[in-house]
Amino acid sequence: MSTATPETINTQAQETVEEVEGKKESGLARLWQQHYDLVILPAIIILLLILLFVYIQTRDLDTIEERVLAADNVWGLLRQHLWLAFLSTVLVLIIAVPLGIVLSRRGARKAQGPVLAIGGFAQALPPFGVLLLMAFWLDFGVTTAVIGLTLAALLPVLRNTVIGLQQVDQSLIEAARGMGMSSRQTLFRVEIPLAVPVIVAGLRVALVLNVGTATLASYIGAGGLGELVQQALRLNRINVLLVAGAVIATVALLIDWLAGVVERVVVSRSG
Amino acid sequence: MSDNPDQTAVVPEPGAGQTDTIVLEGVEKIYPGGTSPAVSQLDMTIKQGEIVMLIGPSGCGKTTTLKMINRLIEPTSGRILLDGKDVTHVNGDLLRRQIGYVIQQGGLFPHFTIADNIGVVPRMLGWDKQKTKERADELLHLVGLEPSTFRDRYPRQLSGGQQQRVGVARALAANPPVMLMDEPFGAIDPITRDRLQDEFLEIQRTVGKTIAFVTHDLQEAVKLGDKIAVFATGKLEQYADPETVLTRPANDFVSDFVGGGAAVRRLSLLELARLELHPIETDEKAVGNSNGTPVVEIDASGKPVSWRHLPGADASGVALVTVPISGTVYDAVDVMLDGAASLVAVVDDDGRAQGVLHWNDLVSGLRTRERDA
Repeated sequence: MSTATPETINTQAQETVEEVEGKKESGLARLWQQHYDLVILPAIIILLLILLFVYIQTRDLDTIEERVLAADNVWGLLRQHLWLAFLSTVLVLIIAVPLGIVLSRRGARKAQGPVLAIGGFAQALPPFGVLLLMAFWLDFGVTTAVIGLTLAALLPVLRNTVIGLQQVDQSLIEAARGMGMSSRQTLFRVEIPLAVPVIVAGLRVALVLNVGTATLASYIGAGGLGELVQQALRLNRINVLLVAGAVIATVALLIDWLAGVVERVVVSRSG
Repeated sequence: MSDNPDQTAVVPEPGAGQTDTIVLEGVEKIYPGGTSPAVSQLDMTIKQGEIVMLIGPSGCGKTTTLKMINRLIEPTSGRILLDGKDVTHVNGDLLRRQIGYVIQQGGLFPHFTIADNIGVVPRMLGWDKQKTKERADELLHLVGLEPSTFRDRYPRQLSGGQQQRVGVARALAANPPVMLMDEPFGAIDPITRDRLQDEFLEIQRTVGKTIAFVTHDLQEAVKLGDKIAVFATGKLEQYADPETVLTRPANDFVSDFVGGGAAVRRLSLLELARLELHPIETDEKAVGNSNGTPVVEIDASGKPVSWRHLPGADASGVALVTVPISGTVYDAVDVMLDGAASLVAVVDDDGRAQGVLHWNDLVSGLRTRERDA
């Protein structure tokens, strides 16, 4: 029985050495094989943008259209838009993740249900209405828009933080405590790192939500790509509307794509 | 580290100088909302270097008892002493860093490399990086995993058996005198489990830890334990060495629990070296002798290859099976059944024939021993 053991271990070691060498050789090929699907979306977007560009070039644009579609105008509105989405997502991160962590602690579990219900309620409210009402209540402008966007996107991150922490294998927490980690060390070194992929997935949802909803911010004077749509409608220029729609869709898709890439990196890092 | 000067003075011989490393005094656990205690008034002593197997049906309090030793579960009343020191009220986190802890599947952190997993406790104890790394390599070597191959891997890249080996290495990291093991081999396939158990005993021979080991597998308890503690609904029913538990169960509960097959399980406790074996001849001239000694044909290195002569049987029709003398009667029975042979040649470490064990001898031999006991 025991005489067979050293041999078995030897063959195991040899096998694994070969395995490692094989991995090094085909590292790039493997990366391509695992993630080739990430190339599809940008390829489609670039193709559509080229088609749109060619189409606009073949149109005779009047001076109004040229002014609205000038790179300065579009670029400025795009930056405003991204800034709104970014600020509100960061706020969501700062509020929802710590709140989710607190809610998952033993003493606060009873509050979990009610708080998640309130989050669900906030998400169910139509963002357009909330933005308008908040603008009358607070003020028209960027601050109000950011607060409104933040409220609407809290739930996915809050819920994913709670769920992410809940689904950490209890035996790992027990192992950590059994080795002498304090409950704080267990939280920061085991529970949170293992919940990160789920939390990041929630953040991705919040970010995409915010990029979409930020289009409505122009109605309360906070700018963004919604402004481009409004200009097109006001001026009754169908070419501008086409470009505005394409830019908004492209931004949403690209942000989602980028967040997806980040998510994959995080997941692959956290085992 | 566990050499309490007072106690070594009382017990002068160093070989028998076993101090009481783990002492439970009147320990009781009543869970909040529970009516009857999960563990009631438990007194138990584990001596230095012993492996004690805690066994019993589920809900019997064996796991609760184990977790009270490192205070993962706080006892409701009673005292726990480690190396003579009362640890019932010391800081639990600091206490647990001094006690090795192994759980089912190893409980490795999936986001840590193997080396980082092993280094968890050393880092908490403030070891420097170099020392932690060296210790991880040393321990990987001890549990039979090549450090250069495994130290930078992640647990998911290892098989269940390999993960469990790392789990044991991790518990040994800070060289704790006491180890607690909670069904460590429970979720592993039988063949790997058997090998891990052998390796575990091998490791224990070099490290000599004081070990409390929870299992639900009687076979495992008999194989690994210096002593077996049989639990039933919060009470210790019998606490004795495996042979005593199997042959003289303290009460109906224990005999029910041990159940049928106790005689077969005892076979694995009988070492072949302790048996009186029948003589065996390797000399060709002995063929045709009338004293009933079997003759075996050997190769150049002295290893038996086939039967040359068997009294009262056709030698060519009987397969030659061998068993190492370091094995147990259980192993001998195993090879006899496997080879469909009614006798087995017992060989020493060099493969030379030392004697013969007959199927019939075995049965009568066991009977005599039982009468002796």
